[in-house]
Amino acid sequence: MFRATLATACGLVMLSGAAGCGTGQRESGAAAAAEAFAAAVGRGDAAAACEALAPETVAALVASEGDACEASLNPEELPSGAVGEVQVWGDRAQVRTDSDVLFLVELEDGWKVAAAGCRPQGERPYKCEVGG
Amino acid sequence: MKRFLRDNGLSVGFGAMFLAALVGQAFAGQADFNDRQLSQGGAEVTLLQYLASSDFAVNVAENWQSEYLQFFLYVFATVWLVQRGSPESKPMDQIGTESDEQQEVGRYADEDSPKWAQAGGWRTAVFSRSLGIAMAAIFLLSWFAQSVAGLSVYNAEQIAELQDPVSWPAYLGVAEFWNRTLQNWQSELLAVGSLAVFSVYWRQRGSPDSKPVGTSHDTTEKSG
Repeated sequence: MFRATLATACGLVMLSGAAGCGTGQRESGAAAAAEAFAAAVGRGDAAAACEALAPETVAALVASEGDACEASLNPEELPSGAVGEVQVWGDRAQVRTDSDVLFLVELEDGWKVAAAGCRPQGERPYKCEVGG
Repeated sequence: MKRFLRDNGLSVGFGAMFLAALVGQAFAGQADFNDRQLSQGGAEVTLLQYLASSDFAVNVAENWQSEYLQFFLYVFATVWLVQRGSPESKPMDQIGTESDEQQEVGRYADEDSPKWAQAGGWRTAVFSRSLGIAMAAIFLLSWFAQSVAGLSVYNAEQIAELQDPVSWPAYLGVAEFWNRTLQNWQSELLAVGSLAVFSVYWRQRGSPDSKPVGTSHDTTEKSG
């Protein structure tokens, strides 16, 4: 969870910064979770997409739509695509796909999608179809 | 043992208080961090996980860097800056690095002087500045650590708030980095400056940071 902190430890001890303190393993975990979500969206599988969402995101979706997650989430409204750049910081990750920006959070049962279908708004936070 | 503790009372006493405060900071920091995690939909962490986190590291490093900057500046500035009447200052007529004779270096060193004070050349030049160099080095290391740990914390918050993370060079221009830095600097500089002035007029009986109680306000560089 605190992989990024290892870079801090390196910096404190020997000014090594990022050298030898890569974030590869945790980036793979975040990328895999984003891929699972994007794949579920791509095949129109709302149940699988809901499985990949963070509980807080599901709760917010259910509260705003007044229906179960599977019924509230419309995969056709969400872009999908191959995962590109992944950035992991602390227990948060931002994943860019061909056509989307996803925001993830690392929970006890692994990486979950906190927000998807996100579009930049200049200096303001992204506006997201889910979790925004 | 008793004699050791008496002879090293300052280092042992302050070392123990430092560790106690650091342990307290760890517990308070973990509770505060977990409160923020709950409000942002993140997972709570154990104490050990918190001790390895960037959040703990940045909070420790930002205070360390300012303390060591304070003492570096104080050690360095008191070579050139004086304060009439302050026991923290040297006399008005000794401004500067002083003569080799006054500093007991090179041919003026005696047999009890440290080896590098006797050696002359670059070794004496380095040793003559070793206290300031050590303080400056720890300051720079701590400030760098603050910037690396602070970047991690800042970017995690950026992502949690659905914003883009930034690079390390970009973080050095972010208001949050300078807010963390300057709020510590101003307090340290105020404390040191006010000590130099307060000690002209006020006394602490028995303290080497104070003049003897009956010494006049005009007397400079006399402690007791």
